[in-house]
Amino acid sequence: MDSNSHGNLDEQISQLMQCKPLSEQEVRGLCDKAKEILMEESNVQPVKSPVTICGDIHGQFHDLAELFRIGGKCPDTNYLFMGDYVDRGYYSVETVTLLVALKVRYRQRITILRGNHESRQITQVYGFYDECLRKYGSANVWKIFTDLFDYFPLTALVESEIFCLHGGLSPSIETLDNIRNFDRVQEVPHEGPMCDLLWSDPDDRCGWGISPRGAGYTFGQDISEQFNHTNNLKLIARAHQLVMEGYNWGHDQKVVTIFSAPNYCYRCGNMASILEVDDCKGHTFIQFEPAPRRGEPDVTRRTPDYFL
Amino acid sequence: MASPAAVSDSHSNTVAVQATNDDASASKLSCVKKGYMKDDYIHLFVRRPVRRSPIINRGYFARWAAFRKLLYQFLDIDKKTDDGGPIKKQILSLGAGFDTTYFHLQDEGKAPYLYVEVDFKEVTSKKAALIETCSQLRSKIGETASISREKGEVFSDHYKLLPVDLRDTQKLSDIIALADMDTSLPTFIIAECVLIYLDPDSIRAVVGWANQTFTTAVFFLYEQINPDDAFGQQMIRNLESRGCALLGIYATPSLKAKEKLFLDQGWQRAVAWDMLRVYSEFVDAQERRRIERLELFDEFEEWYMMQEHYCVAYAINDAMGLYGDFGFSDDKSVPSSP
Repeated sequence: MDSNSHGNLDEQISQLMQCKPLSEQEVRGLCDKAKEILMEESNVQPVKSPVTICGDIHGQFHDLAELFRIGGKCPDTNYLFMGDYVDRGYYSVETVTLLVALKVRYRQRITILRGNHESRQITQVYGFYDECLRKYGSANVWKIFTDLFDYFPLTALVESEIFCLHGGLSPSIETLDNIRNFDRVQEVPHEGPMCDLLWSDPDDRCGWGISPRGAGYTFGQDISEQFNHTNNLKLIARAHQLVMEGYNWGHDQKVVTIFSAPNYCYRCGNMASILEVDDCKGHTFIQFEPAPRRGEPDVTRRTPDYFL
Repeated sequence: MASPAAVSDSHSNTVAVQATNDDASASKLSCVKKGYMKDDYIHLFVRRPVRRSPIINRGYFARWAAFRKLLYQFLDIDKKTDDGGPIKKQILSLGAGFDTTYFHLQDEGKAPYLYVEVDFKEVTSKKAALIETCSQLRSKIGETASISREKGEVFSDHYKLLPVDLRDTQKLSDIIALADMDTSLPTFIIAECVLIYLDPDSIRAVVGWANQTFTTAVFFLYEQINPDDAFGQQMIRNLESRGCALLGIYATPSLKAKEKLFLDQGWQRAVAWDMLRVYSEFVDAQERRRIERLELFDEFEEWYMMQEHYCVAYAINDAMGLYGDFGFSDDKSVPSSP
């Protein structure tokens, strides 16, 4: 990439950091470049420490900006995001565009995995589609991004010992090689291993269970222990579930849930957190609260829904 | 203290609370459009339809299903009068807003002898105007009805709509006399997200007034609980920021406190469940299965939290001995003071 295009990209990033969306044409150009980078990545993308691991963002742009203030700017800090950039919050467009722009600009410094919301079907229910229509007047930008989502890697492996993914394990997957071998470039299916990785949840009950979500499975501590043992892993880091403290250990510290959208949906009152993995593979959770909502126009109009 | 600021706050609170009616109507229409429930009338009351998220649709469904099931239990109670006819029943809806229950009950042939709705005049005037101009609604209340938009009143044989500020229980007594309610008849009183906006003294006054007025009655309450955890604190802040403070929530923050509210005011029995339990143990399983297939649903943690912050409570006065089988279920209802 020549310095001029870096220059453009740097300008785009600083525009996005102010929560100002790019033009449709700029989004198209950006996503073309991102696709080339992402298609080279593995289904189990290797990542080196130090790295800061983050959970769901869900369009809460100002809280993502707060996350970067607390965790350090990219590329000064390496980041691994575990999906769910869009839907629910009011700034899905700005949020996902910024993360993709950072990926294109600093491909070695940031990893962006796919979450279950990075899908055509679910974004039509939970807000990203509507937001694109509202902000661009057509569904073109939604189409461009959801086509790009098909290329996002599904999982990452930090220093061969922390397995990171959005949802959880699958009864059809025993080894990381199982994951490496399938073709991920498609809409998230309704069932099967790829679906499970993005939808499953850990559970207090042993074995596999039916998920109330209607997709993926619940998996018990026995499953996590077996998977970690088989694949020489120390930890499964995942997101996908709201946890009030921002992180939550499970399965005798074999699994941790990380959630990085504080006061989720502007309604839940929860803390957010990120997990810093240092050079020596030490773990530090950093919790944070919602960014003050200054700069957002007409706050009162944007209060979330209740039963009234 | 009635400082000028307090007066203006109180006024803006009143306006904001009235606006919750439009919000609720839009949400109900969103549910109807997705097939959660049937309502042939609610669209007549919504100027700007919106699409709500699945969690809001499901929550409104849960509330509607619980309300309907309890209301039908009441309406289905079969008791003959001394001369052998079926006993007459009444419904009194407090802060009724644009609720359409009366019109459904008409369609279903289940409407009671008398259905009375009260709300702020600003709301009843709008509702009266809509009923007057809309033949679909007007035909349900009868052609002989007298309707006054200015006064915010509708009088027909079996349906009355009247303006009142619930904080004035003397006016409430006047209004039910004006509506020709017979306080000895079995009466179902509805207060959905209404009392919680009042100050605690006014809430106790309304509940006490209803107890003293109706001897064979069910008081149905649906509103918020648990203001003190993180979700609850955020809920209070959000609703305050749109101008509708939940003035009553700290006086009755829990299920126990809701029950106590009624029992302290003299009601014979009171039961309160949170909506999580109402949804899983009271709403029909078959209906749950049906609506859970209507939309993709990916909001479980939030759904559980939200439902834990709403409750259904009902209180019973049973001078006629009608309500032996009424309620959530026979074996699980909470015992009450004698």
